[in-house]
Amino acid sequence: MQLIVNILVLAAIYALISCGYVLVYRVSRVLNLAHGELMMLGGYMLIVTAATISSNPIAAIAGALVLSLMVGGLVYVFLMRKMTGEMVLAAVLATVALGILLRGLVILFWSAQIQYPAQTLALSNPTLNLPGGASISFYSAMLIVATVVVYSTLFAFLRFGSWGIRMRAAGQSPLLAAQRGINLHGVYALAWGLSTLTGSLAGILIALDSGLSQTIVMIGLKAFPAALVGGLDSLVGALAGSLIVAAAEVLMIHYVDPLLADVVPFLVLIGMLVVRPWGLFGTREALDRV
Amino acid sequence: MLKKAIIGTAIFTAAALPAAAQDAYVIGLTGALTGPPAGTYAPGVDAMRIYFDRLNKAGGVNGKQIKLVIQDDSAEPGKAAANAKKLVAQDNALLVINTSLSSTYAPVIGETKRAGVPLLFANAVCPKEVNPPAEPLQFCSTAFAATYDSRASLAFIKETAKEAVNLGLVAMAIPVSRGEIDFADTQTGALGFKTVAKEIIPPPTPDYAPFATKIKDAGANWVFSWAPWITQVRSVEALRRLGWTGDFVTWAHLEAESELVRLKDPKLFVVGANALFQDGLPIHKEIEAAAKEGGSQYPANQMAEGWIAAQVIEAALKSAGWPATPQKVADALASVKVDTKGLRGGPIEWTKENHFRTKQYYRVYRWDPTKNAIVVAKDWYSYDVK
Repeated sequence: MQLIVNILVLAAIYALISCGYVLVYRVSRVLNLAHGELMMLGGYMLIVTAATISSNPIAAIAGALVLSLMVGGLVYVFLMRKMTGEMVLAAVLATVALGILLRGLVILFWSAQIQYPAQTLALSNPTLNLPGGASISFYSAMLIVATVVVYSTLFAFLRFGSWGIRMRAAGQSPLLAAQRGINLHGVYALAWGLSTLTGSLAGILIALDSGLSQTIVMIGLKAFPAALVGGLDSLVGALAGSLIVAAAEVLMIHYVDPLLADVVPFLVLIGMLVVRPWGLFGTREALDRV
Repeated sequence: MLKKAIIGTAIFTAAALPAAAQDAYVIGLTGALTGPPAGTYAPGVDAMRIYFDRLNKAGGVNGKQIKLVIQDDSAEPGKAAANAKKLVAQDNALLVINTSLSSTYAPVIGETKRAGVPLLFANAVCPKEVNPPAEPLQFCSTAFAATYDSRASLAFIKETAKEAVNLGLVAMAIPVSRGEIDFADTQTGALGFKTVAKEIIPPPTPDYAPFATKIKDAGANWVFSWAPWITQVRSVEALRRLGWTGDFVTWAHLEAESELVRLKDPKLFVVGANALFQDGLPIHKEIEAAAKEGGSQYPANQMAEGWIAAQVIEAALKSAGWPATPQKVADALASVKVDTKGLRGGPIEWTKENHFRTKQYYRVYRWDPTKNAIVVAKDWYSYDVK
């Protein structure tokens, strides 16, 4: 039972992060390689809101998420918008530069210390005992709940929401969408905002669970194979890919060698690229565009 | 006219710069000030900056100022190599300090060796080349020491355990940490321990529960970890969340004091070579005041390593005299004896053959819930370094 819980927690972390990669790629065809840094920034936003806006945990978390949404939108407006019409590679390189900048700024403002926002907000992290002798920390459980809520909301938003439909349209054909009067820049800014918000939510929950430092960026990178395995333009794929990668990782740690934890996501990815390069639920056409 | 004035100023400045540089002791530093492991290294660098600023205000050493040139390597070997080259060739550093991951050592050693400049490892793991017989140009003031730390930690477990020891071992998947845990594994048999789990955890691990589950399921009642702090603390926290009630022994990195207070776990023991600031020694108060005055971003209780390194450098420069050369500084370092004023269990003493220290002292701390404070679990004990 504990193994299943471990798989679900890890899958929730990967899924919550990888949906950000998918949202931006699906709408604008840009691989956002600064997603790990934006996720980290979400954790630091919580420290800011806890110190300035409110020591009430819910208000502080809500404030951090709103700030993250705004940061994502601003990244598009002030950086990625300038990449419109340029080669995709230029946009990807811009995200790499953004990531380096964010890492430097975080050190400048918050130092290199491990931060514990849960301590700042006087929050405890109790252990929840589950049937079958398994246990899970409160914030790990919250990661699973958050993943279910985020994905359900995104599915509903993209299926029924007017802006969600516009996002899908822009993703399928920007030219036709623009001709139909859809504000492409608005759609792209929203995609960046939502992507940063979901990544930040992951960053905030990880920070509340086990502290916040620059190593969180590497977790952001580890979720990237999950998005690729599922298919870079599919939210269902991100969910499935996360579950597959997490299961492979946890089972390898438990039954084979813990050292394999680092390479398993990439082994799964290579296997998928050989068999089905566009991922489990991805589209072939999207891969061609990559 | 203006053009002439600018050219004239530029020529004067270019001519004056080397003279100015020669008028101070130039110390170069390459360190991980940014990047994922920066939390371990940056406080030590800040401590050195504060120490030398204070020293300069008080008149410097031998009447000369100390110029600390700090370069960030982000724990990347390529950047460390470029930094070392700049420090020895452009800044004419008399001594280079490396405060970064062990992966940066090879290029920095190469550059300094070619230039004949001594290299001090401070707040970064000591390479074996500083142990007897030491490489002439390499020195190390860092508290932690391969093999000695495991011996000290396992000896503490042997002394403290009231029942048969089923030991779990935890390392980070980096060569230095793995090597030490492999060494510890070779020692357990002779001590009558049984190693039931050995987890080598990759650095970018989002969730430590899968590793902790293995250790708990293997029936470990003691765990020893020697790794960067993040791996140590997340392992113990993951074990506790699974309901594990055993004893956890680990290395007292810079973060240990704050973390003992945060975790309040009476069965978490930190083995270290530095006295914690809760001891309240005069030197601790001096560092606290200096950190406050120097406007440091870091807590004073993380500055002992940097402070000790600066004490060593001050002593060596005093002995090297003026004008100093890299060789004179190396010779001075090779015979240095520094009273750490209680920051360590004894002095740092180097000889021509031993650039680590002649005696390595250890102390063990833990959280005591009855006193609501950190207490000494085992007072200073030492090993001769041969």
